[in-house]
Amino acid sequence: MASRTSKALLSLGRINVSALGLNNAVNRITYSTALSIDSNSGNKDAPARGGRGYKRPRREEGAPRTENMPVDQDWTAVYPAAKTFRPSSIPLPVRMGYPVKGGAPPEKKGNLELIKIPNFLHLTPAAIKKHCEALKPFCTEWPSALDTDAKCDEHFPIKVESTDYVSAGLSVRNPSARIVHLKVKLSTLNLDEHARKKMLKLVGERYCEDTDILTITADSCPLRQQNYDYSMYLLTVLYHESWKTEAWEAEKTVADMEEYSWEGSPSQKNVLDMLVRMKVAGEGEGEEVREQLLGRSEVQEYKDSVTRLKNEGENESSMLQYKEAVKKVFNL
Amino acid sequence: MAAPTVLRRQLFPLARILSGLSHLKPRSLTVCSGHRRCAVSRFPPPLTPSASFHTATPLSSSASSAVSVHQITVTEEPDVLFQKVLVLVKSHDRAVLDSYEFFATTAAQELGITVGKVFEPQKDIERVTLLKSVHIFKNHRVQYEMRTHFRCIELSHITGSTAKVYLEYVQRNLPEGVAMEVTKTAMEKVPDHILKPMWEDLPADDKPSQ
Repeated sequence: MASRTSKALLSLGRINVSALGLNNAVNRITYSTALSIDSNSGNKDAPARGGRGYKRPRREEGAPRTENMPVDQDWTAVYPAAKTFRPSSIPLPVRMGYPVKGGAPPEKKGNLELIKIPNFLHLTPAAIKKHCEALKPFCTEWPSALDTDAKCDEHFPIKVESTDYVSAGLSVRNPSARIVHLKVKLSTLNLDEHARKKMLKLVGERYCEDTDILTITADSCPLRQQNYDYSMYLLTVLYHESWKTEAWEAEKTVADMEEYSWEGSPSQKNVLDMLVRMKVAGEGEGEEVREQLLGRSEVQEYKDSVTRLKNEGENESSMLQYKEAVKKVFNL
Repeated sequence: MAAPTVLRRQLFPLARILSGLSHLKPRSLTVCSGHRRCAVSRFPPPLTPSASFHTATPLSSSASSAVSVHQITVTEEPDVLFQKVLVLVKSHDRAVLDSYEFFATTAAQELGITVGKVFEPQKDIERVTLLKSVHIFKNHRVQYEMRTHFRCIELSHITGSTAKVYLEYVQRNLPEGVAMEVTKTAMEKVPDHILKPMWEDLPADDKPSQ
């Protein structure tokens, strides 16, 4: 027994240091001895040093930092970056969670809900102002001459749309970010009638008649820059090709026409035949009679009403106009 | 001002243990191990954009390179002009989006960006019905749902440099669990090769007949 204690006493030299109270930061090997010196383990009665349930005695926590915080401190210095919620560092009486019956929600000390939710304590208005002050030198001003959308459209008619994606995941890349939409109003391009019609035929579904906007969507290349270049190339090719007149374009039939034109249509033939048979212009057959009839105002009105019906579709006003025109032709 | 305070905060717990020193000289910074920012021996000037806000993730590029006001470069290439920049944020929590919207709109106003409309598209709920038990018991199911809330901020008439600055600032301060989609509409002039058809300049061109 005595020899054992003497051996323990020799090894006590190290433990003496720990007894001074700095034992927490110091990772020393504590020898199991029958002598227990430190006063900290007063609350731990059953498992002595080295026992199975031994926990290192916990240092007493001091007062929370919030008690020493002055009211007019610089909060941007206390919370410069995003940090999880620490109740002892935030001088606010925050409560969060489902309230106890007839009571208040749980307090901030030991509250997991407050820790889980992202907080914006580092982004107070004062902090945002400071950040923006520092960022101002890197910003440029919008040209003052382009204050309305109309002016922007007039000087910069081509709009290029693309999307960036930010999300947490295994990769920062998002393949949908390569898609580029190019929108342009056809009225801003230098196109004549034939070129415009040919462009519309070439483009098909990509044109919207109500807004007169051609949308080219490029997503076949893997990079956004490539898709943008391709869409500009497409626009250029469409433009130049639509100005060309090919030999086979002469074979355009009535079915290919975009709009209804009355000249040379069955409607013109019918009405002229009818008027000749009614002998409106007096006796006589032949081209001069037809031309004379064409010059008449009723026939012109009839032509307008039929063209309008065919192009715009049937609605109240166009049907009324047709009715009036027919009545005039028949002198009813 | 932010950087030295950060260092002070990091070192306080250690100081209490060691000897209760309240002011630390730069040379004692080498004592604290593991944190890269402690290795900075001189304090950067207060007006440093990268030092005044840093992310939770340890990105070395922003922490180590302190950009000073003198390092702003102005290039001759024309700035891109964005007619509209649409920032859509998505999250599972509406309160987080409320706070983020306040932050983003305040930042835009401070930087002088015109904020268009700020609205909340309707939330999207995805529901899943699964079997409750591992084996058989088909009549007992359990249902889960995932709610995605949205917030849309529309900025108009913003230049390329300003957009870069604003978007980087706002994206660096994206809270965890929030995703963002930015749709930019850039305006451009009609390029020179589309001003008039090239067939006028070529005197004799054989039109390829198809």
